[in-house]
Amino acid sequence: MTSSPLLVDIAFWFFGVMSVVTGWLVFRTDSMVRASFFLLASFLNVGVLLLLMRSEYLSLILILMMAGEMAIMAIFMLMFMMNPAGLNPMNMVHQHRAAVAGGIAAFVALAGIGLVARFPDRPARPQPVTEALGKELLGDSMLVFESAGTALLATMVAAIALASSRGRYGSAYEGSDAPPLDPDTRTADAPAEPEPDEHEGHAGMEGMAGMDHGGDGGGDGGEGMAGMDHSGMDHRGMDHGRGS
Amino acid sequence: MSLQGALVISAALFGVGLYGVLSQQSFVMIMMGLELMVNGSLVATAGLWLWAAGGSPKGQVLAIVIMTAMAIEAAMGFALVTTIFRSRKADITEKLRRLKL
Amino acid sequence: MSVTPAWAAVAGVAGAVGAGVYIAAVADRAVGATVAGERGRAGRALGGPFRAAALWLVQGRATTERPDARAWALAPALYLGLAAVAVSVVPLTRNVTAVDVDAGLVLFGAAQALAVIPVFPNGWSSNSMLPLIGAFRFIAEALSYEMPNLLALLSVSVPASSLALGDIVTSQHHLWNVVRIPLGLPLFLFAGAGLAFWGPVDLPDGADLGGGTQAETSGAHLLAWTTGRLAMLFAISAMGAAAFLGGWLGPVLPGAAWMIVKTVALLVVLVSSRHLVARVRPERYVVISWAVLIPLALVNVIVAAAVSL
Repeated sequence: MTSSPLLVDIAFWFFGVMSVVTGWLVFRTDSMVRASFFLLASFLNVGVLLLLMRSEYLSLILILMMAGEMAIMAIFMLMFMMNPAGLNPMNMVHQHRAAVAGGIAAFVALAGIGLVARFPDRPARPQPVTEALGKELLGDSMLVFESAGTALLATMVAAIALASSRGRYGSAYEGSDAPPLDPDTRTADAPAEPEPDEHEGHAGMEGMAGMDHGGDGGGDGGEGMAGMDHSGMDHRGMDHGRGS
Repeated sequence: MSLQGALVISAALFGVGLYGVLSQQSFVMIMMGLELMVNGSLVATAGLWLWAAGGSPKGQVLAIVIMTAMAIEAAMGFALVTTIFRSRKADITEKLRRLKL
Repeated sequence: MSVTPAWAAVAGVAGAVGAGVYIAAVADRAVGATVAGERGRAGRALGGPFRAAALWLVQGRATTERPDARAWALAPALYLGLAAVAVSVVPLTRNVTAVDVDAGLVLFGAAQALAVIPVFPNGWSSNSMLPLIGAFRFIAEALSYEMPNLLALLSVSVPASSLALGDIVTSQHHLWNVVRIPLGLPLFLFAGAGLAFWGPVDLPDGADLGGGTQAETSGAHLLAWTTGRLAMLFAISAMGAAAFLGGWLGPVLPGAAWMIVKTVALLVVLVSSRHLVARVRPERYVVISWAVLIPLALVNVIVAAAVSL
């Protein structure tokens, strides 16, 4: 192994441990906003780690990419969360024990491989990394680079096709409701009134959940949704743990 | 600062991410867990590149492919979350018990 | 290239940022008073920043009900720090750069992309309505300006075939990038104004939100926040001068003087946009950015590649 100065060693372990700790805090904090900021902190720490491991370009690209992604996550919080401001506490987990066991098992197994397995000892020579990477990307590895680009293009097309508001099933706003501010109500738009007719497959499960959440059909003034079987997608019975 | 250190840190990141993916209910939080897992693999790649692969630029290319996978995962994940939310008003996994529309 | 001692680099960046903020504040006052037709007030612009700073410093700090105090206090410091990082990669002359890295352009872009990190908490953590709306507005704005900004920056690295800023300036020896890549500078400045949410694109801190993300801030906090915004404007103009206006290149005067003249000229242009150009509406800004500016920026990159063949 190459020997490194003590200061670099300390920095390496500090940022390494900080990246894991902030990553863990993502799931321990009670607000989505703080969670996304901890995620970004974890990424920044990993960025510094990459910098210490002499992958300057990767580190900068990672930071650049993740800053943008954090912003997108904040937008999605606004769109989907019941409490978009996110200062109020909340905790939404399931199968917690199994998850903890899974995480620890993955860590032990992977760290065990890292510590036990014998890797070739071929440290990199000091060399201009970014320039070599650029030559490689537009030289020998051009096919890989172009494939990545094509995959990204396909992703862009697919993501737009999926998320476009003018999808193949008609306008997405047709029949969509504002998300609820109060977790006990189904949607912000729908009044709390029982729906007169139940649809197939829901009957046995409704109970109080159906009462609480009201009918989307009622909220829309009882009009049928042309071209989009809206009420068929309405899974009131799925809100387990609240009504039952 | 050594290969073993980098691998242990990457394993820890991966484990934390896996915990998040398994335990969280909100789609956005699950995606954060996935990001952490990919992040861990990025650290391992950079460590192996520096200490075990002799600094070949192909290792950096592999890291770029991993980042591409990360970007694709985020983009498709958010697109799917948007679609599901539009069609079913579901923002947590418990609301998606049926595949059928 | 000799290695600069760390203290000299830090002192240089701090001095540059301080001077830049002061010039921007003076220019803001002078242009504002001139546009308003108040000659007397324009004459007192030189001391204006000090008077405002002193007033803010002696003011008490108002607070809100249950804010996230740590994030709130951290926000202006982080914003100022990002501006300082952005300034530090810009070369003053051929041999004087605070932080000389191979991928300086990418570091600058990363510092700019991270601007969301301080601005969002500044609005969010005060636990108040109008700042929160401002914070989410800034995210919409940031997602809109990031792509044109990065593409405009990218276009100058094509003729230089390098991401190092020294090489980029040297590549403009015969022809400045502002002539060679004509779309680059306007795109960069418009995106930069979005980054510092200044002038026509002051959406998150606009008057229609009662001050937006800074609606609840006062005292020293407001001073730090305003300083950060002006420092970011300074970073943008320094980068614009280096990347598009040929940096230290120029006849007669020494290189450093040319760089300072160009930076100050761009800074005055940026600052006075607040007094001379009408504000755009948020949704219109987003549409312009995505539907007009990103295609234009892509065309700009293609033009840059074509002229450097």
